[in-house]
Amino acid sequence: MLTIENLYKSFGKVMAVNDFNLHVQKGETVVLMGPSGCGKSTTIRTINRLVEPDRGTISVSGTEITKLATEQLRQIRKRIGFVFQQFNLIARLTAVENVMLGLVMDGISREVAYDKAMIALEKVGLEKRAEHKSGEMSGGQQQRVGIARALAFEPELMLWDEPTASLDPILVREVLVIMEDLAKYRASTMLVVTHEISFAIHVADRIVLMDKGSIVEEGVPENVFGSPRSAIGQQYKELIEYQQLTNARTLSGKNIA
Amino acid sequence: MSTILNQIKKISKIDIRKDSFYCDIIILMVVSIVIGSLLATSISMAANSYFSKTLASLVGDYGEYDILIQSREEMKEDTATHIQKIIEEVFPGARMKEGPTITGKTSFFIAIPEEYRTKQTYEELGKTFGSIPGGAGVGVLTEPRLTIRGVPEGARAMLMDTIMKIDGVRFAFRDGSSIGVVLSSIDKATVVTEQIKTVLKQYQVIEISFPVGSEPQNPIRMGESIGNAMESQLKLEYAKNVSVDGKNDDMTYAVSTMMELKRFLEAYASKVTITPNAGEKLMRGDSLVFVGTASPLVAGNPVDKGNVIVQITTVQSGGRAEGIITQGDAAALINNQGYRVSNNVVGDYVGTATYNNPRQQLGTALTETTKIVEQIPGFAQDSQNLNTIATQSLNNYGNSINAMEQTLTSLQAAGTTIQTATSGLANIDTTSLQNQIDSSSRSMGGLINTLQVLKLVNNDVGGTVDNLVSSQQNLSDLKSGLAALDNVAADARQAKGSIDNIVRNGSHTIATLRTFDVDGTKKNMNSINNRLSQLGQLNIPLVSGQLQYMAASVPNLKDEEISHSVSVLDKFIAGQVIPGERIQILTTSNISTDAVAPLVYNQVGHKNVSLYSTDLGIIEPNARGELYSVLNEVRAVLSGMTAIVLTILFLALDHTGIMTVIRRNKVEQKKQMKGWRRLLATVVATFTDAERVYGMAIGAILLTTMFALGRGGIPYLPWIAVPFVGAFIGLVVACYAEKISPMSSDEMMAGQSLGLSIDEIMREIVIPSGRPGVLQKLNQRKMKFK
Repeated sequence: MLTIENLYKSFGKVMAVNDFNLHVQKGETVVLMGPSGCGKSTTIRTINRLVEPDRGTISVSGTEITKLATEQLRQIRKRIGFVFQQFNLIARLTAVENVMLGLVMDGISREVAYDKAMIALEKVGLEKRAEHKSGEMSGGQQQRVGIARALAFEPELMLWDEPTASLDPILVREVLVIMEDLAKYRASTMLVVTHEISFAIHVADRIVLMDKGSIVEEGVPENVFGSPRSAIGQQYKELIEYQQLTNARTLSGKNIA
Repeated sequence: MSTILNQIKKISKIDIRKDSFYCDIIILMVVSIVIGSLLATSISMAANSYFSKTLASLVGDYGEYDILIQSREEMKEDTATHIQKIIEEVFPGARMKEGPTITGKTSFFIAIPEEYRTKQTYEELGKTFGSIPGGAGVGVLTEPRLTIRGVPEGARAMLMDTIMKIDGVRFAFRDGSSIGVVLSSIDKATVVTEQIKTVLKQYQVIEISFPVGSEPQNPIRMGESIGNAMESQLKLEYAKNVSVDGKNDDMTYAVSTMMELKRFLEAYASKVTITPNAGEKLMRGDSLVFVGTASPLVAGNPVDKGNVIVQITTVQSGGRAEGIITQGDAAALINNQGYRVSNNVVGDYVGTATYNNPRQQLGTALTETTKIVEQIPGFAQDSQNLNTIATQSLNNYGNSINAMEQTLTSLQAAGTTIQTATSGLANIDTTSLQNQIDSSSRSMGGLINTLQVLKLVNNDVGGTVDNLVSSQQNLSDLKSGLAALDNVAADARQAKGSIDNIVRNGSHTIATLRTFDVDGTKKNMNSINNRLSQLGQLNIPLVSGQLQYMAASVPNLKDEEISHSVSVLDKFIAGQVIPGERIQILTTSNISTDAVAPLVYNQVGHKNVSLYSTDLGIIEPNARGELYSVLNEVRAVLSGMTAIVLTILFLALDHTGIMTVIRRNKVEQKKQMKGWRRLLATVVATFTDAERVYGMAIGAILLTTMFALGRGGIPYLPWIAVPFVGAFIGLVVACYAEKISPMSSDEMMAGQSLGLSIDEIMREIVIPSGRPGVLQKLNQRKMKFK
């Protein structure tokens, strides 16, 4: 579904992504984790070329994105949903308009777009807040609108760029529930950048750990967090153990190790 | 440079399809320019209209009125009544409007009918409205009109004649000290102005300035003399004295007459020459006193009225001084010992005086002439008589010569006889020969008398007369010889020689006499006779009477009276418009003052003069025209300033969002540089960053176009600089674009992630979130989410 090979991206002297290689199967949920500034967001943004990569190839369903012209890129972006950390809603538009925006711009009539948008909002439980603007909603609601906007196109690939990072713990749950549902029903392939370890443990099919722009370790959550091979993995393991000591409960009630 | 080229390449690749955002920008530009130009023009026109209206309310519309009369405010009602009365009488159909009162003076505007707009009307305005009570001045308002000032008085007529010939000139008139030129239409103003300038350039006025004490006695005559000399000697096409207008000013005549009168009086003033005593030195301006008819002078006493006072006017190099009598008369200068005068007190004896009284000399000369004239009739009569005698003698001239020739022949025969008788002188009878000689001598005597008369007329016959006298003497000698022959036979041979000599001289004389033009001489004699007759017919009593009259009319003035009269005349002349210390010569502009100087020195008799060249005149800016010109400038400045303000507004409201997007989208490729390279790169980037290039381009286009369409103009800002000013404004706005229009990158990124094109992002996200402006308004028609 998604293949990233030899991806490089630098900002000046800083090498944000350094020879990054990843293959994601269709319907798979891959969680990208790593310390802040390790290049996770840059990597995920290069996939739909919100950030232009310096080198490497990125293919989505066999389409090499890095070689696409502007118009083709626009078309493929419609097949890739993107959820931002800061929600990135259009402030002047209502929730439903935010969701409709991409659809209408794609040539879909307003009526059809509205219906689709309302369905998407229903999925995230916000159909009753459809006419509210972002300023009138909580952070969690805004992010759910963002998710609905990404889902409206029924994308084959969903990219999540730390969707809960800007939310308080109570609101995080609103979002994670939706994400879990999406993952559970394999509605689309998901690549998630997050620091939510519990989410990663419970939802991810595969964990990819990054450090200094490169993958340092990848595997199923049990291996990565249970028997880490990398220092980053080890740190995550210690963190989980610490959390377990202080709070025996996990999100789904499972015990690790 | 390459960066700029790259930007240009990018711009050239811009998609300007109808539905593209670039097309929106072009539409925005057009709309902005139209709105900006209209606004700039409207504001400037409104201001212009306001000022023009204000001006028109003060002085009427352009060309609406012809005459401006100002009067004292307190008299304005009387003034209005009088003006109304005058225009009804002189300019039927004219209308009057009372204008504003400023600084105590009320203006009245008069519009006169077309038929009265003539040279004569304008030149007589002062006379026409001169009687208005409280009148403070009359001015001309007629438009279109030009005014030429600085034209010398004497050149105005010539210049007006020249100007009147220019196409587009209706007429020219004297407007105070200037020349007013009324044009047939405003369209001709530029052409006529240029042609008048050309005329003015063809001439120059050479000013000849005299320092105090070196002024000519009659600057008018001197000016004419210099002008004539310049024309004849320097071969100049035109050179005229224009110091005064001798043809049009009665006062000029008066002053000229005064100057001549002064010269006349000075010519009759006695000239006193004073020889100072040894060791005494006289200065110009010194006064000396002579006893005159008063008591003998005593040093220290005040000057008496009977004394003669002489003021020194010139001091010669040898110390001798000349002066004029300021008190008394030369006739009283019997005692010629002069004493210095100081504060009207007699001082030391300083010298002796001699004097020359031209009045006395002229009187004497005329009296003597009268005596001569009275002798003319008798002289003419005597001459006529003499002429008659001479004519009669001429009539006998031929006979006399024949007789003389016959005598000579007889003499020659007698000589032969004498020779024959030489051997026997005793037998010779000399009686008949002596008789013959007597006869010849008489004839010759008559001829001599005739020739003596002729000699009075024709001196050429003097030699002949002498010869004849000589021949007559010879005859006399011969006669004596013959008489002696009887007694002195021995002298017979000598007598023969004398005879031969006489015959030879006589033949020569006769040959000469025969060449004398008797007829021509007679003709001359007749002519002389006629002239003498005419002389005799002269009305001698009349001439004599006139001479006596002239002798009697020689100024019967005392020298002191002449001095005081000259002084009065000087005061009068000095107070008139004719400056004695300056002469103005109008001439062509193709000669320098250096070339004229020698001629002027020669004419004035000294080099104590200064020569300057000045323009013939200057076209005076029309006050109203200037005012309108200033208003036009104000309009242009307002338009220009409005264009600048609108450029800033348009850039800030409509384009900063675009600049921000451009800035956000550009790829930062910072190169690591140090030192001057880094500084240079920073400077280059300041001008080459995409959003700044965009800002500069838009700023330049907006400002230049609005400037052009709004006919803007800012003093000291040339047209070529306008695009640069626009570009500078664009650059400054671009530098602050993000602060002016902070753009949400998150929203833009959301749009990108949804697959929106840049056009869609701009229309749906960037522009609606930006500053309210023209672009936002235009964008609304294309927005799908309003």
